[in-house]
Order: sequence, then structure tokens, then C-alpha cells
Amino acid sequence: MNVSGPSRSGVGDGRGDVIVETRNLSKTYRDFWGRRKKVALKPLDLEIRRGEIFGLLGPNGSGKTTTLKLLLGLIFPTSGEALVFGSEATDVRKNERIGYLPEESYLYKFLDAEETLDFYGRLFDMPPDERRRRALMLIEMVGLARDRKRQLREYSKGMTRRIGVAQALINDPELVMLDEPTSGLDPIGTREMKDLIVDLKARGKTVIMCSHLLADVEDVCDRIAVLHQGELKELGRVEDLLRVGDVTQIRARGLPPAAEAEIREVLARHGGTGVEIGNPKTTLEDLFLEVVRDAEARPGRRAAASLRGGDDHSTRAG
Amino acid sequence: MVLEEEIPRFAAWIGPALVRYLFAGGLAAVCAAGAAWLTQAIAHGPLAAGDRVYRGILAGLADLAGTSPRRVWALARLAVQESLRRNVLVVLGVFGLILLFAGWFLDPASVDPGKLYIGFILAATNFLVCAVVLLLSVFSLPADIKSRTIQTVTTKPVRTGEIVLGRILGFALVGTVLLAIMGAAGWAFVVRSVSHTHGVAPEDLLDTTDESGATVGATGRTSLDRGHRHRVVIGPDGTGVAETAQGHRHRVRRVEGGYEIGAAEGLLEARRPLRGTLRFLDRDGRPSAKGISVGSEWAYRQYIEGGTPAAAIWTFSGLSERAFPDGLPLEMIVRVFRTHKGRIEDGIHGTVQLRNPDSGQRSEAFPIVAREFSIDELFIPRRVGTMLADGGTREVDLYEELVADGRLEVWLQCLEPGQYYGVAQADFFMRTGNGSFVVNYAKGCLGIWFAMLIVTALGVMFSTFLAGPVAMLATLAVILVGQFRGFIARLFESQVTGDFSIVPGGGPIESLVRIATQESITVDWDPTPAAQVIKAADTVLLAPMRLAASIFPSLSELGTGDFVTAGFAIPGDLLAAHAAETLGFVVAFALAGAFCLKAREIAS
Repeated sequence: MNVSGPSRSGVGDGRGDVIVETRNLSKTYRDFWGRRKKVALKPLDLEIRRGEIFGLLGPNGSGKTTTLKLLLGLIFPTSGEALVFGSEATDVRKNERIGYLPEESYLYKFLDAEETLDFYGRLFDMPPDERRRRALMLIEMVGLARDRKRQLREYSKGMTRRIGVAQALINDPELVMLDEPTSGLDPIGTREMKDLIVDLKARGKTVIMCSHLLADVEDVCDRIAVLHQGELKELGRVEDLLRVGDVTQIRARGLPPAAEAEIREVLARHGGTGVEIGNPKTTLEDLFLEVVRDAEARPGRRAAASLRGGDDHSTRAG
Repeated sequence: MVLEEEIPRFAAWIGPALVRYLFAGGLAAVCAAGAAWLTQAIAHGPLAAGDRVYRGILAGLADLAGTSPRRVWALARLAVQESLRRNVLVVLGVFGLILLFAGWFLDPASVDPGKLYIGFILAATNFLVCAVVLLLSVFSLPADIKSRTIQTVTTKPVRTGEIVLGRILGFALVGTVLLAIMGAAGWAFVVRSVSHTHGVAPEDLLDTTDESGATVGATGRTSLDRGHRHRVVIGPDGTGVAETAQGHRHRVRRVEGGYEIGAAEGLLEARRPLRGTLRFLDRDGRPSAKGISVGSEWAYRQYIEGGTPAAAIWTFSGLSERAFPDGLPLEMIVRVFRTHKGRIEDGIHGTVQLRNPDSGQRSEAFPIVAREFSIDELFIPRRVGTMLADGGTREVDLYEELVADGRLEVWLQCLEPGQYYGVAQADFFMRTGNGSFVVNYAKGCLGIWFAMLIVTALGVMFSTFLAGPVAMLATLAVILVGQFRGFIARLFESQVTGDFSIVPGGGPIESLVRIATQESITVDWDPTPAAQVIKAADTVLLAPMRLAASIFPSLSELGTGDFVTAGFAIPGDLLAAHAAETLGFVVAFALAGAFCLKAREIAS
């Protein structure tokens, strides 16, 4: 299932394993008369590398789903370009290596789980034996073995979400795009979904996900991009973005209270062993809200470095 | 039956047809590319637009090359499943209801019940099948786009051509199954409805005797069944015939205790005709390109005046002893135009005469009586009398004296002054044999199948860029323009040449003005400036309509139901041409649909 399209940029399997790249990618929706209706995405430059879990965050209407649709070729850019595996996003051959879970599981309700996976397997030109093997394996994996003969119209939202995930993985894709993957799932389902995403990463897959559920993103994403009103406001590794740079946190386990004074004394003398010292984190939710507030206060600018404490480090005991 | 144009040999037809097809397809493609460039140029400038269109065409062609039968079949299966989910089989119940009402309302005592029943069944089947596939094809894709299920399909390695082709194939499969069921049920209904027999009561028969008074047979009439009865003629061997009435006859044979009348013959037939070419003589006996117009707007049949030398002359070719060893089975459809009523229940008398086209030798005249609405039969035996110069007659062999190199002239003349015979070229023919009615009926259904395929492809094509209801209207509009393409072509010719005898009344604006002012269409306008402006505007309006009409399909021309209802075998050449035409339209619509779908944003 290799895409053999020519690489226009050297991205993809060659240069640093960048498999998704956008250059000045923008999207403006227009009405029937060509008048500008909404700027959904302002020029966006992104690179997503093989094996990482990349999260697109933003409030409603921020452009994250638009970005995903542009990467999938479901809509066309107004300017700029989106490259996936080195091919233009509108090149249908790239889809052989992609799995996509839409925000709602847009599936044919009159099919049952087996028929659904068989249908999507056919779309990948998979031979019958492989289709059957993959379908059974995925149905088992998403926990729908007992309900595989029921029409999807009878499924609960959570079950529909699971079969949606299964169809996204039917071709064992290299790149998985998930739009609100935990939407509609109960806490257990959410946990399983997050485990699945982490497992995909462990198997060398690349995952791009949109989500409103910040805790989920925080739990699984390596890097995130925060969009607001179609504009990229923040981009980086989650642990970097969440680090509070002007605070130093020291953690220790099982120390008697008397030892704290001793640690302080030790710290005062610049050293010690068995003591964990690091940067405490705020929550992703706090960061997200601050980014949004900052964006509204200062439109057209990237989020202030001070929001994440810059590179300043200060040490504080206790 | 009406056959306005000769049916060309498929081998001779396909070459020029293919050239015209490629030219029209190329022109349409260039126009589409130009329109795409124009819209892109407005948004992105001319150079970028050119680049986009060029890349779009390349990508489209690459997509076509990557078409996978497995994906197409998967999408076709999905279309079938979707159709079943939409309870498409309900239409079979509707068809059953129609059959029930047909059995109730159709009159078996009509002039030609076979024609009535077959025509009705084929029309109902055609309408229902085409309506179902139209509804399925125009609403399916827009519904998928609206519900966004299409997004899980287009994010797979599915080419837009596969989506279009899969839908066409799926809905065509549904239509085919429906057509097969309706066709079979319709056939059974027709056969059961027209099948009948009669009885012959002994008191209805009179013995016929020879000069010596010996009984040599009997004549009489059958019982009255299904609104008709037959005149019965029985020979000395006890067999006979119940003569033609309502387009059929019965064989009669003696059985113990009376006579048995067989099944109806001639109701459900598939005649194989050998047709000739027609020319006329006017009332003074001079050659004429046409007969007389009796004022009918439809100039298909030309008329000859009775009681004058006027004649309609058919020249047949390919007649041979091998093909017709016993004689020539001539069959005739002769229409009558009466300038006085006469005895309305009697036919109009005339003659048929044979003539050697080389030597001019003529046979004796065969008397005929033209009956409206039926095919008259005249069997010309091997031995026929010929006219001698001295007024006498001589019996000769048909093939030795009258047929010259397989050619023979058949002259038709009307004997009654003040009455007219109306004929067309296809009205006189030699019956070379009979095809199977079932096969012919199946061929008639094949004509419906062609129409169904075109409607499906057209509906799917429009649904790639229009909402369901709009796609349906667009499909109907194309079908409508296609139906009137002959009229639009003549109207345009009339506008361009200024010859308003071709189509009187002018184009759309002129017609509107005439309607508003209640002006007769037979009076041409004076060339005032206003009239000239209107006529010029009409020409401009008609030009694109003329172009569209020349490339849009005419479903009625694809239909071959007329052959079946009239009892003629559908020629293989015609069927092959229709199949090629259908394939051409389906391919063109599928390609157009694939490019339209590729050019649109699925998720916008």
C-alpha cells in the first residue's frame, strides 16, 4: 500500500520523516457570488513527523477541523499547499496510507459492523481473506464482537464511535487522523481510546487529532498546535508548553519532616541525591484559556512567551 | 407501424456515428475546460487558472487510469443496499396495482387488443422503471454529501469516477431487476389477457354446396366473445379459418360433435418484413416525388386519389425463389381518407398489381379492400395472370416473367373516385418470416433498459454538483429537450433560413408575443424593426438549444416498443445502434460526473 506519487518537496519518507507539511495553507469560504464569507484558516505552516501524536486545539470555529479537511483533500485550499506523504492533499493515492475518523461517525446505518468493515476494506482494494481477517480483528479490538451483526442504526453513540475507529484502521494506516476521537465515549471508552492512540504511536503510526477535551490531548499528544479564529497561536511539544519556567519544583517521596530542613540545607549548599527537582506544570486547560484570552486581547500576534514562563527558571524549595 | 427513416446497417452506421460522438464529446470537453478556466481565472488569475485546470485534467485522467473494479463493485453493492433500504421494491406492488386496474379498464373488445395491452404494459413499465432509477440516482449522492457519509468514502483511495460508476452500476442493477420482474409479469398479463377462443354453434353455420349440390364445406360465424366474432369458412376436409377480425384469426377444425376453434393467431407476432422503396404517380399518371397532402400536419403518409391513374409504387429488391418458394406474402397497411362517407363499415376498394421493372410486363390486378387499423394480407402465388397487349391474359411464373434480378414493382391504386389511399414506404412489405414474440418482447424491454441506463447516468451526473430536487429537474429538462430535439432542430433551421414553412410561429419570444396578441402562426410578420429584433433574439436563444438538442439523448427514439406493439420484429441493426448510443451516453455522463465531483469540495 505504498503511494508512489512524486514527492514535490522532499518531505515524506526522505527528509527527516516529515509526513505532513503545510505551507501558507489558508482557506476562505465564499458565497455563491464569490464574496468572502469567512476566513476559516489564515496562512498556516506546519510540519508533522512520523511517529508523533499531534494535537490540533482550538475553540469552535478556530479552523482545526478545516485544517484536517484540507489535509484530507475534502476541501481545497484558497492559497498555499498541503502535502501529505509528499503528495498534494487532493491526490487520492495518499489515502491508501491514511485512516480517518470523522467528528461524527458518518457511516452507513443500514450496514452491520461486518458489512461496514468489509465495504471499507473493498475500497482499499483488499483481497477477501485479508478483509475478513482485518475486520474480525478490529471488531474484536473495539469490543463489538457480540454486536457485529447488528445494523449500525441500532448502535449507541459509543458503539458507533468504536466501529468508526475500526473503519479508520481497516487498512492498517501509517497516518491516522482523528476528529474528536473521544467524543461521545464514556470514561472507560475514553481511556481505551487514549490507550489505542498511544498504542498506535508505539507501533510507529503517526496520529493527528482534533479535540476539545484538553485533558485527553494532554495525556496523549506529543505536540500540539493551538488555533484561534483560523490563526496559529501556539505550537510546540506539550511538555514544553506546559512547563512553568519561573518555578522550580522539588518532589520527594517518603521523607520525614526533619529531612525537609536538611534538604533545604543541602539545597542551600547546592547539591544532594535522591531528590527530584523539576518544573511544575499547569494544566493544559489553563494554558488553553490563557492563550485564547491573550489572542483576543492581542489579535494577530502569537501567544506571549510569558504565558508559559519563558525560559526563566527559578528554584523554590518545598 | 411508423418508420420515418430507414434503419441503416449497423456496420455502416457506427463509423460516422463514432466520429460525430467524438467530435461532440471533444467539443463538450473543451467547453467545460474553458468554463473551468474562466471561473478559476476570476479567483486566481489567468495563469494560475490555467495551471489548475491543466493539473485537474491530468489528475482526473490519472484517476480514471487507477479505476479499480473491486471498488466500483463495492460502491455498486452499497447503492443496491441503499435502494433496498429505501423500499424500492414497493414499486413492484404499484406495478401489480396497475396490472389490476389495467385488467379492469383496458377493453378487450378494442380494435386491436394486442396492441393496446402490449403498448400499455410497455409504457407503464418504462415509466415506473425510469421514475424509480431517476429518484434513486438524483437523491443518493446529495443525501450522502448532506449526511457526510461520503467523507468516509472519499478519504479512502476512491476515485470520483468510481463513486459515479459504482452508483450508476448499482442503480442500473436495481432497475434491471425491477425491469426483469415487471417485464415477465407484463408478458404473462398480456398473454393471458389476449388469449381467447370462440365457439361455433351449429345453427350459425350454413353448408356450402358445389354446382352438383354436394356439400363442400360451411360458412358462418363464431360466437361473440370479447366484443367480437369472426366469419368462419370451412373447407371440404373439415378444416377452415375464422377470418381476421380485431387483428387476429383462428384456425378451425372439425372434431367429434362440432368444430373446434384454435388459439388466436396474429395478435402477438414478430413479423420480419422485407421493405421496398416508394414512389408515386400523380392523378395524371406522371411521376411525382410525393403523393397528395390531405391536410394532415403529419406528412408521414402521402395519399393517392381514387378513380385516377394515381398510384403508389414500391420497388422491392432481393426477392428470390429460394426465399419465397411458394409465392410472395405481401402485407399492407393502407390508410383511407374519405371525402364522402360512403358505407363506413365497408373498406375502400382498390387494386394491387405487379410489374416487371425492366420489361414493364404487368400482372393482372389483385383486388383489395383497405380496412383501417389492420394489416391486410395478400398472398401472391407463383402462377399469376399477366396482361397481354390484345387485352387477354396469360398465366406466367412469377420469378420467370415479373421478377427481374430480384426486383419487382408493386402498384397500389384506389378504385373509388373521391376517396384516397394513404401510404408510407414502410406500409407495404413482404413477410420473410416470423420471429418469436417472446424474444421480440424481450428486445422491447431492452429498449426500456437503454432508457433506464441513460436516466440513471444522467441523474447521477447531475447529482454530483446539484442538490437532489434540482438534479431531478435538470435530468427531466435534458430528457424533455432530447424528446423534442427534432422539433428544435427544425425550428432553428426555420429561424436561420427564414423559411417559416418549416416550423410556423417562430421562436420562443415570437411565440410568446403571438400568444399574447392572439396572432395566427400561419401569418408571417412584416419585416418591421421590432419583428426583426425579436426574430434575431429568438435565433440567439435557439442556438444553444439547438446545440443541446443535438447532443442530448432522445429516450423515445431509443424505445422499440412500437415494433412490439405493431407486431414487427425489432431489427438487430437497430438494437445494436441503440446499444452503442446508450453506451456512448453513459460513458459521457459518467466521465462528466467524475470530473464534476472531483472539482467540487465534498466537505464544504
